[in-house]
Amino acid sequence: MRRTRFWVLLLGGTALLAVLGTFWLSRSAGGGTVANVYQDGVLVWSIDLSEVREAEELTIEGPAGGNTVQAEPGRIRVSGAGCPDQICVGQGWLSGGVTPIVCLPNRLVIRLEEGENELDLDGVSG
Amino acid sequence: MKGAKKITVMGLLTAIALTIFMAEAQIPPPVPIPGVKLGLANIVTVYAAFALGPGEACLILLARVLLGSLFSGQLMTLMYSLTGGLFCLAAMLPLRRVVTERQIWVCSAVGAVFHNLGQLAAGILIARTPALAAFLPVLVLSGLLTGLFTGLTAQFLLLFLKEK
Amino acid sequence: MLWRIPVLAAALLCLLAGCGQTEPAPVTVFAMDTMMELMPYGPHGEEAGAQAVTRLQELEKLLSVTAEDSDIGRINHSQGTPVAVDGETFALLKAALELGERTGGALDITIYPVIRAWGFTTDSFQVPEEKELEKLLDKVDYQAVQLDGEGQTVTLPAGMELDLGSVAKGYAGDQVIALFREAGVTSAIISLGGNVQTLGARPDGTPWRVAVRDPSGAGLAGVLEVTDRAVVTSGGYERYFEADGERYWHILDPKTGCPARSGVASATVVGESGLVCDGLSTALFILGAEKAEALWRAMGGFDYLLIGEDGSVTITSGIADQFQAAEDGLAVTVVTQ
Repeated sequence: MRRTRFWVLLLGGTALLAVLGTFWLSRSAGGGTVANVYQDGVLVWSIDLSEVREAEELTIEGPAGGNTVQAEPGRIRVSGAGCPDQICVGQGWLSGGVTPIVCLPNRLVIRLEEGENELDLDGVSG
Repeated sequence: MKGAKKITVMGLLTAIALTIFMAEAQIPPPVPIPGVKLGLANIVTVYAAFALGPGEACLILLARVLLGSLFSGQLMTLMYSLTGGLFCLAAMLPLRRVVTERQIWVCSAVGAVFHNLGQLAAGILIARTPALAAFLPVLVLSGLLTGLFTGLTAQFLLLFLKEK
Repeated sequence: MLWRIPVLAAALLCLLAGCGQTEPAPVTVFAMDTMMELMPYGPHGEEAGAQAVTRLQELEKLLSVTAEDSDIGRINHSQGTPVAVDGETFALLKAALELGERTGGALDITIYPVIRAWGFTTDSFQVPEEKELEKLLDKVDYQAVQLDGEGQTVTLPAGMELDLGSVAKGYAGDQVIALFREAGVTSAIISLGGNVQTLGARPDGTPWRVAVRDPSGAGLAGVLEVTDRAVVTSGGYERYFEADGERYWHILDPKTGCPARSGVASATVVGESGLVCDGLSTALFILGAEKAEALWRAMGGFDYLLIGEDGSVTITSGIADQFQAAEDGLAVTVVTQ
């Protein structure tokens, strides 16, 4: 049987590390300007936020009612979702950093990444 | 506890856990971070692990997770809850032998952290996105805090019922 | 140092003109029951875009199946008497009937009464009874449409009805592209309700990148790189209803009068003519992979990409190198001559 002090130190230490980690991640720049929208790990939309002039919107169907993704100059967010918890909407605008926007029920992830707009689409047939 | 009484208590605990779970599902998430929630139903899991035993706690948890996702119509979240729950038990059950009955909160906090780690792993696998790892520190922190809370509640409950 | 001023001015002008050449003049218009987006680039873009809108509205008046005074409306109400139509309607009808012939009747512009029986024209969906379908199928036969070239008249037996829904958007796209070309536009991409047609290449000279929807889900199956081509996709996911656990979509097999179930979930056709691509994408969806391949060998002049209900991808050799699957490791079968 360990003494309580041992546990307090162990858990406290972990908490401290977690706080530092959160702080570090929230301050880390990274990310780039290309917003890539993935569903089930597959890239479904890609947009260079530094080149957006007018707001653009895309509705992506999904197993939990789908998501509406909205891009504005320099930032992107989920503006509407069919999922029950609405966490993805609550995450708000993403404009930098490495933390992605996530809608687990719809298996949707939005990340900011470096480099070229991989999809670079002109149109969609269908 | 044996036989009919034990089954009755287990059924009762499952019902309580399910009720808490459904009630919590009705209130909006406290912070918009995927995977962060209070997890109040785990008060029952922790209580069962100490008052009844590992096997019983495991059964109650499984029943609650399965029925909960069925009742709330969110079969989608079943995989997450299940993985999280199993990770939590895997961490809590060995720890249960090491801590005293006044250190239940330790066991619960560690369990909650592992619960979140399990969910994160499931999320990374299901959404096929390693980038979700960016949520690791937040989930560890939230696991510690919510686990501490549910653990202390279970601890008070256990000691209170014992005195009676 | 004075020479610098004209040079600077010239450079500035070039820059402005250059800007004019690469800036798109986007136009959005709702016509023929669908959203149309036109994106002509260059200095003539704006003017050409406005002309195209007028042109599309003219075509809608001519070809609408719901307007009684359109050419198609008048033919459908003719009770078997010859109807004189516009030269444009006549040419389109001729092309559509030819496509019907070449596809062995898979594309049939007289299927309209059956489509209505399923409720696809009004959104009050229902599964028609077998007897009703049999009765209606008697009235489905593109070969019964008589065209008289001299008087430019069309004779349709009483009780039958025409609908150019399967080719009109493709034809309209061809008209818009031709209009753009005449107006001096060298680079344009248009989407008429999902029919994508391109003129030339992108302003920077690289090919247009056109995605093909994944018929089973929300995402994209892949991207095609095209220049001067139409890319038209037909899929059961576009319009459907569900009854008793079964999914019924809007593309009907003229032989059975029921939604075509050939194992194909979506058929994309790439070619020069939007009209041909439009008609063929419907036909290939109905025909299925094997007959599609046979038709491709026999007819030529187009390429296709089929996505099966099992997720399999079949693509013809002409566009195989221009296709990038969205998911790595996707098994793609290439059909060669």
